[in-house]
Amino acid sequence: MLFLRLWNYMRGYVIILVEGYFLEKFINICTHRQIFLWDVKRQKNCKMMLKISIKGFKMLRPIARKTRCRVSLVGKRGFPFVMYRYKNRKTFVVGAVAFIFMIFILSSYIWAVDISGNKKISSQLIVDKLAAYGVRPGTIKYGIDTNKLVNNMMLEINELAWIGITVKGTKIKVEVAERTNPPELVKKDIPCDIIATKDGVIKSIITKEGQEAVKVGDTITRGQILISGSVVNAKKPEVPPRLVHAIGLVKARTWYEGSCAVDQRPIEKQRTGKIQNKYSLVLFSKNINLLPGRVKFENYDRSEIRKRLSVGEDLVFPFEFVIDKYYESNLVEKEISYEEARQHAADNAYKEALKNVPEGAEIVKSSVEYVEKDDEGTYANVVIECLENIGIQQQIGGK
Amino acid sequence: MSVKKHTGRRKKKAEPKVNLKEKMAEILELPKEIVLNMPKLTMLGNGDLIIENYKGIIEYEDARVRINTTTGIIKVTGDRLTIKEITSEDIMINGDIASLEFYK
Repeated sequence: MLFLRLWNYMRGYVIILVEGYFLEKFINICTHRQIFLWDVKRQKNCKMMLKISIKGFKMLRPIARKTRCRVSLVGKRGFPFVMYRYKNRKTFVVGAVAFIFMIFILSSYIWAVDISGNKKISSQLIVDKLAAYGVRPGTIKYGIDTNKLVNNMMLEINELAWIGITVKGTKIKVEVAERTNPPELVKKDIPCDIIATKDGVIKSIITKEGQEAVKVGDTITRGQILISGSVVNAKKPEVPPRLVHAIGLVKARTWYEGSCAVDQRPIEKQRTGKIQNKYSLVLFSKNINLLPGRVKFENYDRSEIRKRLSVGEDLVFPFEFVIDKYYESNLVEKEISYEEARQHAADNAYKEALKNVPEGAEIVKSSVEYVEKDDEGTYANVVIECLENIGIQQQIGGK
Repeated sequence: MSVKKHTGRRKKKAEPKVNLKEKMAEILELPKEIVLNMPKLTMLGNGDLIIENYKGIIEYEDARVRINTTTGIIKVTGDRLTIKEITSEDIMINGDIASLEFYK
C-alpha cells in the first residue's frame, strides 16, 4: 500500500469536495469511465470528500454536470504541484542544476591518495612516484590506466613485491606489499667462507660444506670466520687447501642492551583545562585561516581534527575543515615512589633494547639490573638474550 | 456481526435451478467468480471489506452502503464507513462493519 501511495504522490492528486443529491451515481459514472477514486469520505448534508488523480479531475466536468453535483477543490498534493511551485523560481532551479553539475565535475577528479600496507617504503615516495606518472590530487580519474601504472611503479620502486592500484570514488587506493630483499648470496661455484654478522656466543653449528672454524661455546666477534671455505688436508698440511663453497647454519646467542635513568621526579604535562581553538579551511590545497592570531599559551598540547567533506567513504571532495585544539598545559614535577620509578625505567630500557632485536631472532630471556652512577643517579640496564642465525656467506679473498 | 441470507421471498423458488454453467464450473473446479461472474468478497476482521466483480453502488451513507452485484444487492451497515478505493472492478470499504446482508 505504501508503494501505491508513493506512486499516487509522484503522479499527483487532488482532494475534492462533491456536493449534490446523486453522489452514488457520481461514483458509478466515475468508475465506469476508469477514473480511480480513493479515500471517499461521506459527510453530512449531501457532501463527500474524495481523492482523485489529476488526469481524472480533468474528466470530471461532464460527470458533474450530468449528476448535477458541484465539485470544489480542497487541496492539491503530490510532486507535480511541488514542481509547479518552483517553476517561477529560476535561480533556485539554476542553483539546483549547478549543484548537481558541480558534484558531477568534482567527483570525476582524484582528490585523495590512500596508501596502505607500507612499512619501510615511505608514503611520500609512493605519492611522488605516482605524481611523476601524472596521478596526483587534481587529475581526472577517467584517463588513469591502472595496469600501466602498476607496471611502472613495480619498475620504479625496487622494494615492492606487489602493488595494487584502484580508483574508487574520488580516491586512488594504493595497496602495497613490501619485499624483503634476499641476502646477497655468493654463487654456488665460487668458494666462500661463512662469517659472523654479529658478536655472540655460538649455540650450534650445522656444517654442510666446508670446515668449522669455531666450536660451540666460543665467543665470536663480528666478521670472524665461522665456517671456512678453505679445507686443509689433515694428513698433508703442506698441500695447499682445497677451496669449497661453504654452506651451513650457525646459531648464536646474542645480547641487546638498553638503559634508562631512574627518575623519581619525572616532568609531566598537566592540562589546565583552558582550550584555544583555531579553525581553518583547506580548499583544494590552499589553507585558509579563519581565525588569525597566535596561541596565547606558553606550553601546550596540540591536537588536530580534520573533517573532510565526503559522501560515503570513497567520494571525498577537496574541501577540508581543520580544527586545531590547543590545550594549555603546565609542566609539573611529579613525585613517584622509588619502586614505581624503577619499574618505569626498566620498561623504557626494555623497549629501547627491543628496537635493536632483528626480526628473525628468538628472545630467550631478558634481565634487568640497576646500576648506581656517581653523579647521575641510578640507571636501569636491560639485557635481552636472543638466539639467532648469524652466519653470512663471503667470498674468499673478496671484500 | 450477523450474516443473514435471504434466499428468496417465495417458498416455491426455494429449490434453485442448478444451471449448466455452475455444474461445469463445479466439475472442472474452475473459479466461480470468473465463470459465473459472481462477486468475490474478502473481509479482514470487521474492518476491511473488498468486493470484487461488483456492478455499482446504489447507496452510500456514513452508516450504510448498498452495492449492486450480479447475484443481488449486498448491504453493509456499520459506522464511519468510507470507500478506501474504488475502481471499475473492485471496491474496498473501510470502517466498523456491523452487518452484511444479501438481497436477491
